[in-house]
Parts: sequence; structure tokens; C-alpha cells
Amino acid sequence: MEGEIELIYEIGHISIIIASFLSLLSTGVFAFHFFREYYFFSTLIKNFSKIGFFFVLISFLILEYAFINSEFSLDLVVNNSHTTKPLIYKISGLWGNHEGSILLWILILSFFTYLIAKSKSIKSSQFHITVLGIQNIILFLFCIFLLFTSNPFSRNIDPPLEGFGLNPLLQDPGLAFHPPMLYIGYVGLSVSFSFAIAILLNKKVEFDWFNYLKPWTLLTWAFLTSGIALGSWWAYYELGWGGWWFWDPVENASLMPWLISTALIHSITVTQKNNQFYNWTILLAIFGFSFSLLGTFIVRSGLLTSVHAFASDPTRGVFILIILALSTLIPLLIYGFKNTHRIDTKYFIFSKETGLLLNNIFLITSTITILIGTLYPLILETITGSKISVGAAYYNATFSPIMIPFIIIMAFAPFLGWTKTPKKSLLRNMLIIFTLAFVSSFIIFKFNTTSVFGIICGYLSILLFFSVGFTFFKKLQNLKTLPLNYYGMLVAHLGLAIFLFGVTGEQFFKKESSSQIKINEVIAIGDYSVKLENVKNFKIDNYLSETGLFKITKAENFVGKIKSEQRFYPVEKTKTTEAGIFNFILSDIYITMGEGNLKEGWVVKAYFNPLVKCLWFGAFIMAIGGILSLLSKANRRYI
Amino acid sequence: MKPKSQRLIILFFFLTLLGLSTFLVLKSLEDNIVYFYSPTDINKKILSNEIDLSKRIRIGGLVKENSILKEGKKISFKIHDGIDEILVIYNGILPDLFREEQGIVALGKIENKNFSAIEILAKHDENYMPKEVSDMLKKNGKWKGKLN
Repeated sequence: MEGEIELIYEIGHISIIIASFLSLLSTGVFAFHFFREYYFFSTLIKNFSKIGFFFVLISFLILEYAFINSEFSLDLVVNNSHTTKPLIYKISGLWGNHEGSILLWILILSFFTYLIAKSKSIKSSQFHITVLGIQNIILFLFCIFLLFTSNPFSRNIDPPLEGFGLNPLLQDPGLAFHPPMLYIGYVGLSVSFSFAIAILLNKKVEFDWFNYLKPWTLLTWAFLTSGIALGSWWAYYELGWGGWWFWDPVENASLMPWLISTALIHSITVTQKNNQFYNWTILLAIFGFSFSLLGTFIVRSGLLTSVHAFASDPTRGVFILIILALSTLIPLLIYGFKNTHRIDTKYFIFSKETGLLLNNIFLITSTITILIGTLYPLILETITGSKISVGAAYYNATFSPIMIPFIIIMAFAPFLGWTKTPKKSLLRNMLIIFTLAFVSSFIIFKFNTTSVFGIICGYLSILLFFSVGFTFFKKLQNLKTLPLNYYGMLVAHLGLAIFLFGVTGEQFFKKESSSQIKINEVIAIGDYSVKLENVKNFKIDNYLSETGLFKITKAENFVGKIKSEQRFYPVEKTKTTEAGIFNFILSDIYITMGEGNLKEGWVVKAYFNPLVKCLWFGAFIMAIGGILSLLSKANRRYI
Repeated sequence: MKPKSQRLIILFFFLTLLGLSTFLVLKSLEDNIVYFYSPTDINKKILSNEIDLSKRIRIGGLVKENSILKEGKKISFKIHDGIDEILVIYNGILPDLFREEQGIVALGKIENKNFSAIEILAKHDENYMPKEVSDMLKKNGKWKGKLN
């Protein structure tokens, strides 16, 4: 029995080795097809890609089996699991660590490669071979990375009876699904990358090929959006700091690819419509993948201080940096040498093209400001040795001002027509929604805030609502003939409006107070008062809990009861805070309780976070918009 | 309009935007950089009056044993880097991972030769040690954890 179990891990390990060989073979076929073209090349590379995926899947399932059964003969399971952990966290324990998460990355990458191999929509076999070839090169590099620096199947010769457990903060449903979603997004960018390179490598520009980029970019984008939102939601309720975005390097690492892929979606749209921006689209697709690798590098190298949890190892960082350099420089070289196509098309200033051009300029500028803020500490430390950090204030001063004109143009854009717009109707439409937004934002927010940004942000969110609503209203007569991707666009824009609504509430109308209170004492927060009624101690599953029971009242009227918890995990010797959150429809009362005792009381911090739910709800709506667009006929044809 | 002049307009617009954002970036980098010091460094700077008391800084180190004092919401404790130490005063809830001999980073200002913190961070990472602190301890030869 013992021997059989041991054997299974060898199979897991060997499966990955076979998968990496298959990807190497595919790379060989890809390289060879430049010299000789045999009709069976395309069948060959497709089959290698499909079989490769099954080997990766086998390896993944074996590792998952080890986690579920707490097989402590694997180092990885010892370090990241424990027999008392609930099943869902045993499963998610696989990607709660470096080795496992790279295996997950490889699984998604080879699954996408499998899907491309299976695709019947790609007519040109030359194009198909090139796309699969590039996918396989990336796959091969990552397999090598896994096998040489982060082997998940490394064995523990002397298996202990119990594991070290998983960081309690990560034992959370929100975080169980956050990494896979984000990874689907990151890896999806590799597909856009491969398609872009394949377009670039061809002798002449096949404009039809740009259509293949769109569905994959939409998929990437929808998953990145929901992955980031899920992470932010987790940080909000689990870290107990009452915030949802901290401009931490790791967060920035996911925001940058998101911004680039947003730009990419808009840029492809122009290329599809009238063949413009195609060079730019290719560049964006290349940089999209670079940024997703940069994100992995930042997270995995540990070079930057982050408040988030990751084990780090410099050699791994160097390896990813090499992949990053290769996958940015080589494509840029190809781009520089091969790209001599230039087609002059008519261009009009008052057109959707200009709107989308500005969209891209603003998105890229904002990405660059984030990049500077994220890497500056690293650069300065290397040069001068002084350790610095760039805080939220930097991003508020750079990122936010760029977003103001961005949103205004976003509100404009639906009224602009392709190539030409009648100026009169444009002006009339804009005047209507600007005025409507002006009046209603005063009614809604009343603007009893001193922050100029607060006023602007509230106004912009309402402006965007009206822009989307007005566009919809104008199309009412021909709703049925509107393609699904148009609805997708409207829904995604609506999502951003909802998100901004949440930002306005949470950032500029938030109330907070903290004090040390004993049982039956009260802490006031805005119009509400929160009374500590009781504190109880429990022992549950794998942790001990100290739970405070709070009663919320508003002007003597009972509103609700909530509990806030301090948990102690004996295995990991760690405490976590479970914030007590009282849910109104859109707003929250958020309570955290620190250490304390009966005599002196407990330090309690309470926040009133108006409209805070709109943040995640908005992001969710945005992702739905992306999926709707993906499902439209125009995009489905190219999957 | 001719395509050429159109292109010029777009280019001009882009350059203006680029200039503006470069200005914003540089300006806010200048204002918002927060320097990090070890207790040894900061005490030297205080002695030689080199420190700008109005500017926020970060300090980091290990929480000294038996130095944590609580008076209601006000908490004070010492952090050390194996060589020197400094008193930190803080009003608020300590992070979950705060404990003796734990590496922490505090954000705040120097007041009366003590450090008045507005934020205390203890990293929730698998090794429970902020990078600045582990680098500092390695430099001082006081690092007890795994060697990379």
C-alpha cells in the first residue's frame, strides 16, 4: 500500500516531464514549419497540445489527491496542510503556495492551448501552427520553471504525522477562488499574446485574424475583473482594516494587466471595425502578457514589500524575470523588424476612433504611473540603498486625476459615430446628460463633503449612469436588432458607473470611530450607536474564538445585532480578525474588536461605509458585460 | 483637415498629457515617498538633528519582550534591531500578528525622541517577517530565521 502511494507521486512528477517534452516537440514542429511545410504538421502540433493537457491534468489531480488525503510524504502538503482543515481548504491549499500555484498556472495554460488546438474556427493552418507553437514555448518555459525551481512533488523522506497548516487568513471561501480566477485572467493574456505574434509573423496583415484576439481578451478581462474584485472583497472583510484597496505592489500587479487588457479590448474594436490601430493592438497584446508576467514576478520574487502573503525566493524571481525579458524583447524585436505595414486611412477628429484612442492613451498613462510607483522603491533601493515606500497618497495624486477626463470621454463615447458624427446632435446629447447628471448628483449626494475629489467622483458616476441610460433609451426602437456585444458594452460601462458610485460613498462619506468600551457601553458612529452586549469564548474546528456581540440602534430604534470575532489558530499560532459586518442593502456597518478583558474593556473600531457594496457589485456587473460580449455571435464565431 | 495636421494634433495632445502626468508623478513622488529606518539609524538621525519632524517615516524592528504597556486605547512598546531600540506610541487596534519578538513596521512621525505611530503593520506572510526588518536583522547579524 505504502509503495503504491509513493508510486503515484512519481507518476505525477513524470506526467509533468512528459508534458514539457510534448511542448518541446510542438516547439520543434513550429520552428521546422518555417522551412518545410508538410500537411501533417498542423495535425501533429494539435495532437501534442491536446495530449500535453491531459498529462498536466493527471499531475494536477494527483497533487490534489495528496492534499485531500493529507499525504505527508510530500513536502508541499506538510508545509501547507493539516488534517483538521475543512475539505474546501484542503483543496484550495494546493494553490495557497508557490509550487502548487505554478502548477495551476500551467494547468490553465495547457487547457487554453488545448482549446485552441480543438478550435474549428481557425481556417489557416499556418496561423494555427504559429499560435500553438508560441503557446507551447510559453508552456515549456513554465514547465521547466516548475521542474527546476519549484517541484511540487518533492518528497519528504521522513513523513510527519501532522502538517504545518495553511495560513489562517487564507482559509476563507473568498480566497479559495480568488487565485484561480486571477490566474485564468493572467494566463488568458498569453493567448492574446500568441495570436498577436502570429499575426505579426505572417508576411502580410490578415485583418480577419484580429477577430480571434477579441473573445480571448474578453475572457481574460472578465476573469481579471472578478478575480481582483474577489481579492478586494476578501481584504475588506478579512484583514479587518476597513479598506478595500491599499495600492499594495501585489494589488498593483493585478491592476496593471487589467488596465492593459481594457485598453486592448477597445483597441481591437477599432481594428475590427476599420483596420486602424492594428500596430497598436499588437503592441498592447505583447505588453499585456508582459504585465501579467511582471505581476507574477512581483508576487513570487518577494523583491517588493507587500502586505499580502507569499513565500518568496530570489532564484525563482530571476527565472521569471528571464521569461519576462524573453517574452517582451523578442516580440519587440520581431515587431521592430517585421512591422513595415502602413495603411493610410481617413481619420476624423469627431469620431468614435478618437474616443477610443483617448481611452487607450488614458489607460496606458495610468498604467505607467502605477508601474512607476510600484517599481520606484525597488530602483531607488538598488541605486542608493535607502528603503522607501510609495503610499496611497501617490496614487491618489497621479492615478485619480487621469481617471477624471477618462470617465468624461467614456460618457461621451456612445454618442460618437464611427468615422463621422453630426456635431449638433452630439452637443445636444452631451448638454442633456451633463445637466441631468449635475442636478441629480446634487440631489443624491447633497455634497456635504469638503473633498473636491468627492464631488467630482460623485458627479462622474452619475454622469456615466446617464450616459449609459441615454444610449439605451435612444436605441429603444431597435432593441431586438442590437447585437449582444453592444449590450455587453453597455452593461460593462454601467458596472463602472456602479463601481464609481461605491467609490464616492466609501471614500468620501465614510464615518469611523474607535474607543475602548466595556460590556454594555456604547460607541457612536454617524447616526448609529453600537453597544457591546456580551463577549463569549468558543472552540470551533481548528481555532478558538472570542466573539463580541453588538447591538446596533438608530435613534433608540433597534436596527440589528452582529458579532465580531478574534480567532486564534493553535496549529499556526496566529490570530485573525473576523470583522462584524451589518449589511444594509448597499452600505455596511463594519466592526472590529481588538484584545481586551472584562475589567478594562475591549478596543472596538466601528466604520459606517456608505454604498460600499457597489464596489464589488459594480465589478461583478462589469465582468458580466464582458461575458455577454463574449457570447455574442460576432465573437463566438472566432472561439 | 489634412491627415498630417491631424496626426500633429494627436501627437501634441499626447505629449501634453505625457508632460502633465510626468509632472504629477514627479511631484507626488517627491511628496509621498516614505523612508524606512531601523531603530539604530533613527536614533543617530535624532541625535544629529537630521530628521524632518514634519515628514512621515516608517521604522521597523522586533517588538521587545516585556515592553508592551497598555493604558486604555493608548499602547506603547519598544522595538529593537538587536543593537538599539526606540519607544513607539500608538492609539488603536494592533494587528492580529502583533506579539513579542515579532517583526513589525510602524508608520508615523518622531515626537519627543519617541515614535508616534498612526499605523502598525505586521505582515501576514508565511514567515511573519516584513522584508525591511529581515534585511536589517541580517545586516546586523541578528537574523535567526532561515537563510536564503
